[in-house]
Amino acid sequence: MSSAFELNGVTCRFGDLVAIDKVSLSIAEGEQVAFIGPSGSGKTTLIRLLNTTAVPSDGSLSVLGYIIADQSVESLRVLRSRVGTMPQHLGLVENLTAIQNVILGRGGQRTTLRSIRDLIIPSRSDTEKIHQLLRRVGIEEKLFTMVSKLSGGQKQRVAIARALFQEPEILLADEPVSAVDPARARDSVRLLTELSGELGFTLCVSLHHLELAKEFFPRLIGLRQGRVVFDGAPDSLKDRELESLYELTADEMMADA
Amino acid sequence: MAMNSTIGKWGRRRWIVLGIVILFLLCAKSLGLTPAGLVPPDETRWERAGAFFKAALSPAMDYQDENVPEDAPPIWFKGLYGLLLTLKFAFGGMSLAVPLALIMGFFGSSSWWPEPRGWFLDLFLRGIYFAFRFLMSLLRSIHELIWALLILSAFGLSPLAGMIALALPFSGTLGKVFSELIDEESRDAAAALKAIGHRPLQTFFVGTLPAALPNLITYSLYRFECALRSSAVLGFVGIETIGLYIELSHEEFYYNEVWTYFYLLLALIVLVDFWGAGVRARLNSHKGACEA
Ligand SMILES: Nc1ncnc2c1ncn2[C@@H]1O[C@H](COP(=O)(O)OP(=O)(O)O)[C@@H](O)[C@H]1O
Ligand SMILES: [Mg+2]
Repeated sequence: MSSAFELNGVTCRFGDLVAIDKVSLSIAEGEQVAFIGPSGSGKTTLIRLLNTTAVPSDGSLSVLGYIIADQSVESLRVLRSRVGTMPQHLGLVENLTAIQNVILGRGGQRTTLRSIRDLIIPSRSDTEKIHQLLRRVGIEEKLFTMVSKLSGGQKQRVAIARALFQEPEILLADEPVSAVDPARARDSVRLLTELSGELGFTLCVSLHHLELAKEFFPRLIGLRQGRVVFDGAPDSLKDRELESLYELTADEMMADA
Repeated sequence: MAMNSTIGKWGRRRWIVLGIVILFLLCAKSLGLTPAGLVPPDETRWERAGAFFKAALSPAMDYQDENVPEDAPPIWFKGLYGLLLTLKFAFGGMSLAVPLALIMGFFGSSSWWPEPRGWFLDLFLRGIYFAFRFLMSLLRSIHELIWALLILSAFGLSPLAGMIALALPFSGTLGKVFSELIDEESRDAAAALKAIGHRPLQTFFVGTLPAALPNLITYSLYRFECALRSSAVLGFVGIETIGLYIELSHEEFYYNEVWTYFYLLLALIVLVDFWGAGVRARLNSHKGACEA
């Protein structure tokens, strides 16, 4: 199996702050991985590095076999159109309908003019496809509903459908369940892992919620202050490592409070 | 320490208020403003002012002018026709102003700029940005009445001239506010689209612009109400709107006619205001539903 991501000593700095600190890891295509760690540990930054919207200050990163540092702006853009991202706050256009938001999932693969047309008159085949996708994620009756009128859980489904319409080879989701209640959170994580199994895309999800990560993901990567402190199967995650992952330093407690 | 700074603030405020009062007195003096100036110099003025306001109670139901031919349409019809013309100018002016404002607002905003960009492109975009901001300031720093005088003296009295006089300053104001509404739009959606391979301009047209659209429409509607008032006022420089009828009746001291036109204009503005409020409520109904 070839690799979705290869990181070699990747460091990401924001000024003096080291958000990701010499991380080396490899994620194979088709894998399902959860990034876990307290807030501020670097999960979001890692995801932004993987979707190339942040660039490493140091080290080498390759995505789907492409070395990021060697790519032109245009080839990075094309690469991004093959990698789906669900940002933490979803990034939906609130006053567009569900179908209009979902159709934008494929924008990276279409011209600007075509995307504008998609918003105004979606093609029949796209409409049918999106209808199916919305049925798969459980909100088929919301096809023409404005996103702002949807509940938090339904918005999340729209974001998932947008990612699926993109037909990505990799899906990155940043704390996809931070804004919904525990029962809904479990359903959403299950849906993502099921879809990844069904459609075969690589899935990387950052989770605050250790229990969910342990239940659904065969591989957990624990981050702490930008470093990988754990990488393995959930059952090999020992109490001692758990402690090192979640035992908060005084600074972090201040930040959480 | 905290006490001290409060006192310091109060002290400064007092100075500012005092400064404003002094400035006002200086202006008043240099303009020759005295309380006596409010009192009309002679009796006929008093009578005229009284007549004018008394006429408010009895707007004309028929022409006061004896020379109006028998078969002329009734005054309320002429008033409605004037309103129609007023609406036409406001609408025509806005139809020119909005597209102009969209173009200028686009170039006067920065949310469509590509990232990363080299120093040359950056300098170029900043140049465009400031050029358009300057152009918009220029357009709106001149009042529509002045624009009307400039354009009328250059091209003569024509309906198009009136429309352009209205469109120019309105496009400046609209464009400035459009560009700010666009740049204030949350960048979450744009960032999400960029992350999945959208180009910068594509992100702008399918993400940022649609997100800002309800605000742009709401503001345009509000400006349409302003355009209506401005269009009426353009009558005073000779463009045929209800303002012209008001001006002509006023010149002849037909105060009851003036009030008929006033009331009709008022009714129209109130009507448009209600309509605008309705549209605004519908457009912005999504706010609050989600931002709990
Ligand atoms: N764009 C940025 N500019 C400056 N600092 C940042 C930026 N993004 C993240 N950071 C910092 O990097 C660290 C890691 O943040 P983040 O990746 O968001 O962690 P997590 O997602 O695990 O909460 C934090 O200290 C955060 O303040
Ligand atoms: Mg985060």
